[in-house]
Amino acid sequence: MKINLLKRLAMLAALAIPGTAIAANNVSLSSDVFVERTVEKPDGKTAVMLEEPKTVVPGDNLVFVVKYKNVGSTPATDFSVTNPLPKAVAFNGTSDGTEIVSVDGGKKWGSLAALTYTRENGEVRPALMSDVTHIKWKFNSALSVGSEGKLVFRGTVK
Amino acid sequence: MKYVPKALVIGSKRSKSWLAFRGAMTLATSLSALAFGSSIAHAAGTIAGTDILNTAQASYDGPGGPVVIDSNTVTITVDELLDVTVASSDPGDIAVDSGVTQQVTTYQVTNTGNGNEAFTLTADTAKGGDDFDTSNAVIYIDTDDNGVFDAGVDTLYSPGSNDPVLAPDASVNIFILSDIPVSATDGQRAEVELSAVAITGSGTPGTSFAGQGDGGGDAVVGSTGADGEASSFFLIQAAQVALVKSATITDQFGGNEAVPGATITYQLVATITGSGSLTNLNVTDDIPADTTYTAESITLEGAGLTDSDADADAGSYDGSEIAVSLGTVPGGQTRTITFQVTID
Repeated sequence: MKINLLKRLAMLAALAIPGTAIAANNVSLSSDVFVERTVEKPDGKTAVMLEEPKTVVPGDNLVFVVKYKNVGSTPATDFSVTNPLPKAVAFNGTSDGTEIVSVDGGKKWGSLAALTYTRENGEVRPALMSDVTHIKWKFNSALSVGSEGKLVFRGTVK
Repeated sequence: MKYVPKALVIGSKRSKSWLAFRGAMTLATSLSALAFGSSIAHAAGTIAGTDILNTAQASYDGPGGPVVIDSNTVTITVDELLDVTVASSDPGDIAVDSGVTQQVTTYQVTNTGNGNEAFTLTADTAKGGDDFDTSNAVIYIDTDDNGVFDAGVDTLYSPGSNDPVLAPDASVNIFILSDIPVSATDGQRAEVELSAVAITGSGTPGTSFAGQGDGGGDAVVGSTGADGEASSFFLIQAAQVALVKSATITDQFGGNEAVPGATITYQLVATITGSGSLTNLNVTDDIPADTTYTAESITLEGAGLTDSDADADAGSYDGSEIAVSLGTVPGGQTRTITFQVTID
């Protein structure tokens, strides 16, 4: 909740004096979404290609890529990246498994295995991949000046 | 309105996504107004036209304190997937007699795609591999959604004018009425197929129809080819009865002479053949002239029956003929009736 409050404050500040707020950012963040398309090659073999889609259909496999870079002049400490999962997408895992997730809209966080999901009828069961609402990566060390990286997770269009 | 959770896509908490939310609400309202049938599940997937918005956030401590930034927002629209399944609702072969008209086969058509879609229905009674073809096939839509054909209630289908429009995951019951030819014989089967094809387009899965999707995107043929079909079967189950009558004479002198006072025992054997059953089978026999019926002498399968027509048993005598009600008798069985008279 603290982060939400801070975020709201930051957004308010951004609304009030947008130029200043943007200039204060010394980390850049970008999001790309790719879809896996199976393409048949001339030799008859099929290959999976990643395309940047305008449209998808249910069942399509998506690859989300979040790129970050410290473009400022000071290290960014306590760095974390959060990606709320679109409602129409079912989480399908990350490439490195270093993420923590939430299955309740960002209230509780942890590894998927450590979380439980409360159904509408009050029943509690172990959380499943399909319950995930948010994905977060928390960095243990500061993001030094100029350092960059990307975070990848997969999802399926529901 | 059950669509709302599926259509609702929030990529971030920014005002832009609330616009998307309101758009989704409008879409959901118009969908429910168009919806045909009531069974809604979530198998069809995200509703066509839904925008998937993705925005990542980063937070860190910078020199001026905590900072939260959003990435760009990627917007992807969900296209319409064209899919349909047809299933026969008849549990097995439908037993019919030859020559009967307007016999009903029942099917269920389900829109397994993710958009509102109209379907063209076709009845095919000329399938190969069966023994005979039914004729005069007409298609009815189960207007009152009770799964049973109701003449005068359910709507006659006319291609191009009342093609059923199904919401995602919605189903409609369809009936085909057709006539069984007089020439069909016992044990023969006939296949009656219903097919449903998405009007937007069908064909090889993956085929795309630009701009024709529900919700404004493309329409893409799904794994069913947007073309479904299923068959029901009629089976002719006919039965015939053959009646054989014989007589045995016993005279009062211990012989077998047909003299006045001698007793004649008549035996009637009804043999039922065929794969069907005869219902309401009644056997009657007049008492011959110059004989007198022996009271309470009727037997069925060796057991005595009373002469009264008012009681529960199957036998009766009305003063001129005996009658035995055999009810429903399946093919392959026999019934033996006896009664006695004396020669006047």
